[in-house]
Parts: sequence; structure tokens; C-alpha cells
Amino acid sequence: MQLFRRLAYLLNYRRHDRELAQELEFHREMGGRVESPLRLREDAREAWGWLWIDRLGQDLRYAARTLSRSPGFTLAAVAMLAIGIGVNIAAFGFFDIMVLRPLPVRDPETLLHFTRQSPERYASAMPYPEMAFFRDHSRTLEIFAQSPQKLSLEGEAKPRSANAVSENYFVELGASPLLGRLIEPSDASGPPVVVLSEALWRMHFGADAAIAGKTLRLNGKPSTVVGVVPATFSGVSLARPELWIASQQQPYFIDGTKILVDFSDTTQEVLGRLRPGMTPKIAEAELRALAAELRKQYPNDIWENETLPSKPGGYASSAMNGSQSGSGQRGPDKLLPVIMMITALVLLILIAACGNLGSLLLARGVARQREISIRVAVGAGSGRLLRQLFTESLVLAMLGAAAGLALGWAVLRYLLSITDSPSWMNPTPDWRVITFAAGAGFASAMLFGLSPAFQLARQRQRANFLRQALLCAQVAASCVLLIVAALLGRAMNHALTADPGFDYKHAITIDASLAAHGYAPAKAAAFLDTLRARILAVPGVASVGEATSLPLGNRNVVNGFDVDSHHVDMHANNIDPAFFETMKIPLLRGRNFKPGDTNAIIVSQSLAARAWPSVDPLGREIGHGDGKATVVGIAGNARATALEDPDAVEGYFLANAADQPGLSLVVRTAADPESVLPAIATIARGIDPQVFPTVQAMRTAFDVRMRGAEYSAATVAVLGATALLLACLGIVGLVSFAVTQRTREIGVRMALGAKQAHIIAIVLRQFSRPVLLGLVAGTAGAAALSQVLRRLLYGISNLDPEAYIGAVAIFLAAVLAGSLLPARKALRIDPVRALHHD
Amino acid sequence: MPKIDMPSGALPLLILRVLRAGPLHGYAIAQRIHTLSSDVLKVEEGSLYPALQKLLLKGWATAEWGISETNRKVRFYRLTRDGRKQLEMEMSEYDRVHEAIQTILRTA
Repeated sequence: MQLFRRLAYLLNYRRHDRELAQELEFHREMGGRVESPLRLREDAREAWGWLWIDRLGQDLRYAARTLSRSPGFTLAAVAMLAIGIGVNIAAFGFFDIMVLRPLPVRDPETLLHFTRQSPERYASAMPYPEMAFFRDHSRTLEIFAQSPQKLSLEGEAKPRSANAVSENYFVELGASPLLGRLIEPSDASGPPVVVLSEALWRMHFGADAAIAGKTLRLNGKPSTVVGVVPATFSGVSLARPELWIASQQQPYFIDGTKILVDFSDTTQEVLGRLRPGMTPKIAEAELRALAAELRKQYPNDIWENETLPSKPGGYASSAMNGSQSGSGQRGPDKLLPVIMMITALVLLILIAACGNLGSLLLARGVARQREISIRVAVGAGSGRLLRQLFTESLVLAMLGAAAGLALGWAVLRYLLSITDSPSWMNPTPDWRVITFAAGAGFASAMLFGLSPAFQLARQRQRANFLRQALLCAQVAASCVLLIVAALLGRAMNHALTADPGFDYKHAITIDASLAAHGYAPAKAAAFLDTLRARILAVPGVASVGEATSLPLGNRNVVNGFDVDSHHVDMHANNIDPAFFETMKIPLLRGRNFKPGDTNAIIVSQSLAARAWPSVDPLGREIGHGDGKATVVGIAGNARATALEDPDAVEGYFLANAADQPGLSLVVRTAADPESVLPAIATIARGIDPQVFPTVQAMRTAFDVRMRGAEYSAATVAVLGATALLLACLGIVGLVSFAVTQRTREIGVRMALGAKQAHIIAIVLRQFSRPVLLGLVAGTAGAAALSQVLRRLLYGISNLDPEAYIGAVAIFLAAVLAGSLLPARKALRIDPVRALHHD
Repeated sequence: MPKIDMPSGALPLLILRVLRAGPLHGYAIAQRIHTLSSDVLKVEEGSLYPALQKLLLKGWATAEWGISETNRKVRFYRLTRDGRKQLEMEMSEYDRVHEAIQTILRTA
């Protein structure tokens, strides 16, 4: 009831106020004493509890007036905040897209993503028959799955990326076609059909509106195009397949594939939609029981005590962890440190901006001393004054946040477009991003506005300590950013010039993707033998080797195993004996593979040191059961699939008969690879007209990798430069303020004959301590923070002295130049005039 | 006899009490309290009007426009049913407190 009356009062606020005024007027007429009717009216209003609205309105109006009276300051402050808040919003926006925002599919919150786990092993993908068993028997879930495939369009050299999906995939994800229809449950047994992506339909088929019903030859097999998937459909992966086929129709398109019945082919990314009323726990329990049941039939294929842990499936992040498998437990998430690193960097920019703005506000506060004294004199309490000053900061912060929202949106949109991200990734801020922007605005208002407001409201003349603390924070934050940028730059330079342990400059790779073409092992071996013989006959070719994971290629198999109770993750590669010679990876100890070697492993020196730091690695065993292998040799370190990660260690196995369809060739050339590339490409494509291998110089793959590193180094460099600029601007402001404040003192000293250098030293001395302190703090901070960066530094130490010294030197030079500029003003002070100052 | 400042918290009780006889306007309330207390208690305008606002907020009184004895339009405050209840409650409470204080003063 009281609340209603209070609201009614607020709605009729003007009438109530008028009535009260009339009442007081009457009171006075009758002879009562009404000394200050305004004050009385305000007190009366306070009874209703709405006074804060009045005050807020007053404060806002006052703040708007103050800010609009100094547009230069306002503009600079808003721009500074927009940068500081904007980069945070861009980073949060990306986090939002990847982690917080559900994928644009039907009911994303009831989707689960399943992986395999047993006490000894883990895998992120499942064999088809296992998935099919769960799909047919689960009563808690609708199980569906996808697996990457490659299919060739008629007359095209390069196979197109395809997604083989279970027939209920589109139904479960609630996708609607752009044209025609999508794959439906009836396609499990019907005639072969294919669905096109919108991109392929536009680029390759000229957006043909009558495409549905036409026949398309895939891998030479006729199939009917039934529809087009819109680009706005995200699916549940970050890949962007151009074709979709039904999983069950794969044997039609790919001759000889056993994917539907073979347990060794783990390709299926398995998802499930919880049926109404079910929870992930119930579903996991059911799948565990089903796995145990299936193990009775297939004791070799389903693991002992196999469980199927689930993660939420309706988010971009759940689709991100690529395929992983290994023994033991899954290693720790590698994404988390990167997210933390980015968070720290963007926060540093915000801190630098706030520190800078705080100093500016303090300096401005001195100029406002008179105004504030007047306000105190007419009866403003310090609480009221504080609130008013803080409101001013809050208005600035909110303007900055709004500008930052626009800036963040633009930055994110730009980043998404240059990285060629899928079009369902929408950079437009949603309510989370907007809330974050408001929160960041408020937090920065606290950071830069609260302490200056306190100083001013209490009318303390000596804000010196605070000013120095703000400068110190600013210097530290910019320093960290500069050092990290320098580290990334050094790392790139190192990667470009240092020896990676294998020779990528004189190598060509041939990826025939024989498995995707349905080659059986024997047929694949024959193909590879023919190819190898023909290439070796080309002049300028020195040797040919084979590997399942190409150096600098996109395939990266990480196998985990346990040695003496500690876990080691190795980058595994199945190779032929000629691989080491071809890649120029030295064999340091032991022997190379011999044909027919089974259960032998050659480890990199780094792996040997990691797994057996105190004993001779040769002859040691890893793994268990069928996977058990004995160390026969030790090779040089060559992080061929994880160049940037100094912790990466390698293990090599001899490729066996079953590996043949998955093998690619590496060719070492004596001459410039580009000169023999055309000849080799012609040979590679001439063996089977159905197969169009990808042939490229390894140097090209290297350059592509470097471009990614360049982006991140450039981004951090821009952040660092921004912070440096902010710090310099802050210093210029502070020094020129100090000169103005000490004009008289300087005048006296000059009159007494002080030297110029001495005068400059006096002006700058007060800044040397906060700057030095900031530098020390910043260097320490960078050393701590760069710990997580180590794995991205291509082997450069995260304490690399050159990067640290270089960054600090650049910083000092810039800051010194920035401070000398206004300090020179001190030398032009006329002693006579200075003594008349004030 | 010197005038005494209104003891804190007593003003709303007194206002409610003088309103029990019938609606009054603000000036009359002040006058009535002043006279009834034999000129001992003086009601300050600075506390009277905020107190009246509080009565309105709590719903113990309503205000309506009427004509004063001097033929001017003015707001009259009228006690509501809630106001009456509140008055009775506060009076009995006041009695209890008063009695307790008296007991202490007499016996201690």
C-alpha cells in the first residue's frame, strides 16, 4: 500500500509540490514563520523517499553542463575510455560467441556432446557401429552424429569438404532448408542424395533456383541434389562443409569403405538430445550400461569400463576441441590459459586508460578548486559533493562505454571478417555484451573517478601520492603490454630464422587423401609405390618419405601415455624409414625402423628427456597391450606439427599396412622445390583419374602458419602502442601541470642562477620514482603473465632478455621524449614574471 | 515559562491526537498543539510539514482541499481508520513508557 502511495506521489510529483507551496504560502499569511520554503519543500519531499531522483537529475544536469563546457577534455576522455573499454568489449564479444551464446539451433540447452573414456584411454570420436547401437537403444536421448568427409565434384582437382551426418541430424538441430529439403530419416535407406551449402550453391551453381532434383556426380557417383542449407545454419562444428550426405550412404560414394561396420574407424562426433524430463546424469548412466552390453558382443572394440562423459553440446566451444585420443586421462584444457592471457592483456589496456584519465581528472580538479570551494561555502556537504563529482565520472564512463560498444563491435566484425569466420557468428552485441559494457563502464568510473572525487571533495591540496600511484599503475600496465608484444615479435623472428629441426625449405608434400577415396590398404600401398617410383625418377628429387601427419600440415594426432605415474602427451606420427632422411631429422642414437618392425617407437630427444629423465630411454617400453612399443631409436627434436609449442614432443611409429590409405608423401628436392613442383603435381594426378592429390611446397604451409602468428603479434603490438601512447599523453599532461604549479619556485631558482639541466631535473625528479616503480612492477607482471604464453613462442624463452630490454628501452625513450617536451617550458620561464605570478 | 523543543518522536503522536476531533489544516494543527500545551510546546514549521507528509505516506491521514476560516483555499488533513488505530497504539505505548519512566524516577 505504502509503495502504491509512493508511486502515485512520484507520478503526480509536480501537483504535490505546487500544493505544498500553496499550503506554506497560507501558513505564512496566517502569521506563521516560514524561513526557507524551498528547504522545507525539499524536506517534505524527502519524506516520500524520492529525493535521490531529484539529486540524480541535478547531478546529471550539472555534469552534462560541466562536460559540455570543456569539450576538448570530454572528447579526449571519452576517446581514451572508448579504446580501453572497446578492446574489452571486443574480447568479451568473442568469448560470448564462442562460450556463452548458444548455437542457433533448436533447443541448444538440451544438446549434449559425448566422448569416450575408460580408465586407460580416451577419445573424442566414436566408431560408427558404436554410435548406431546407442542411437537404436537409448531411451533417454535422441542420438545423432556427424563426421568429416571429402568428396570430389566432377572434373575438380581438389576434393570438397563434406559432412556425413546421421539421417536425423537436421531434424534434431531444427534446421530449415534455404531451398528444397534437407537430409531426412527416410534417406537412411533411400536413393543417394546430397545437400549443398549456400556458399557452394552460390559460387559453383550460380544460385540456381531449380537445383533441387538435379543430378550431381560425387566421386563419380550420380546422386540427387535435394536442397540447400542456409549459411546461417551453424550445425555443431566450426568447420564449414560444402556438401552434406547421409552417413549410411557413404559406401555408395566411397568404394570399399567399411566405415559403417568397422570399429577401428573412429570418426563420429556424437551428440544427443535429452528427451523431456531427462538429465545428463541419467543419460550418461544409460550409455554406460549400453556400452557394457555392447562389449559382450565386441570385447576387443568396446573398452573395459567404458564411460561416455558428456559436455553441453549447444555452444561453439563444445564444437571446438578437435579430435583427440590417447591412453590415460585427457590432458588439461589448453584453451583456458590463452583466454586468461587475452583477458589480462585487454584489462591492462583498460587499466592504463583509467590511470591516465584519473591523472587528468586530478589535474583538472586543481583548476576547479575555486568552483568547489564556492559549492562548499553555499552548503554542499562533502558526501553530496562526492556524489556530484562521481556522477560526472559516471557520465563520462557511460559515454565511453557507449563509444566502446561501437568500437568493440567494429573491431570484432573486422576480426571475424579477416579470419573468414562462418556467417552465423554475429558480432552484433547481445544483452550479455551490453550488460558487460555497462559493467565495464561502471568499473572504470570507480577506477578513474572515485579517488580523484574523494581528493577534491575533501579539498585536499596534496593529491600528489594519488597522482604518482596512478602514473605508476599506468606505466606498469603499458610496460606489460609492450613486453608481451616484444616477446611475440621476437618469437616470430625466431621462427622465421631459426632451424626448426627439419628442413621445410626443400620439401614438397603430396596429400592424396586415399582413405576418403575408399582405397583399401593394399590398393593404397600399390598407389603409393607407383607414385614414389615415378617421383624418384624426376631429376632434382633427392628422396621420398611417407607419414600420416605431414609436417606443418593440418592433421595433428596427440597421444597421451603414462610413464612412472606421470602423464606425457606426444605428437604421434606413423612414418616409413625414409621419412627421417627426407625431412633431414637426425637420428641421434639407436637405429631407424626396419621393414616389418612392429611395436617399435622412435622418440624425439625431448620426449626421451620428458619420459625417462634419469635412465637410458633405449629399450624402454610405453603403453600396454596391443599398443605396447619399445624405444629403438632417438631422433632430433622436430616439432613438425606443433611448431609454436616448445613443450611438444614427438613419437614415431612405423606405418603398417592398415595405415596405407592415410599416408601422405614428403619429397625432398635438391633444387628449388618450386621448379619441380609442376612436374610432381602432374605425376601425382596422373595415376588415378578419380584422385586429385594436393601438392604444395612445404614452405607455403610454413608461410600460412606464420601469418597466424603475425596477426597475434600485430594485434598485441597495436595494443602495446596504444598503451604507450596513452602513457605518453598522461606524462605530457602531468609534467606540464607540474611546471605550471612550480612556476614561482623555478623562477626563484633561475634568478639565483640554477643551470638548465638542474631545472629540468627538478621538474622531472618527482616522476622518476613512480615511473621506475611502474617499470619494475610491469616487468615482474610480464614475467608472470608470459608463463602461459610459453607454448606459443616457438621456443623463445618467456623471459627472453632481448624482448624485455628492448621493450623497456622503447618505453623509457618514449616517456622521456614525452616528458622533455613540456619540461622545456620550464626553461622559458621569465624569473621576473614568475615572481609576480599569483 | 520558557518554550520547550518538541521531544523527538512526539510530534506525529500529537498531530494524530489533535486530528481525532476532526479535519484541520497545517497552521491550525500547529496552533492547536501550541494552545493545548498551554504555550509550552512550539511546533516548528520545518518539522510540521515533513511530519504531515509522512502521515500521508503512511496512510494515517488524507488531505483534501477546503475553505479556511479566513475564506482561503487550504488543505485539510483528516484522520483515516489506519490513523485512528495507529493513534491508539501509540497512545497506549506512550502510556507504558511514561509509566515505566515514572516508576524509575520515583523508586530509584
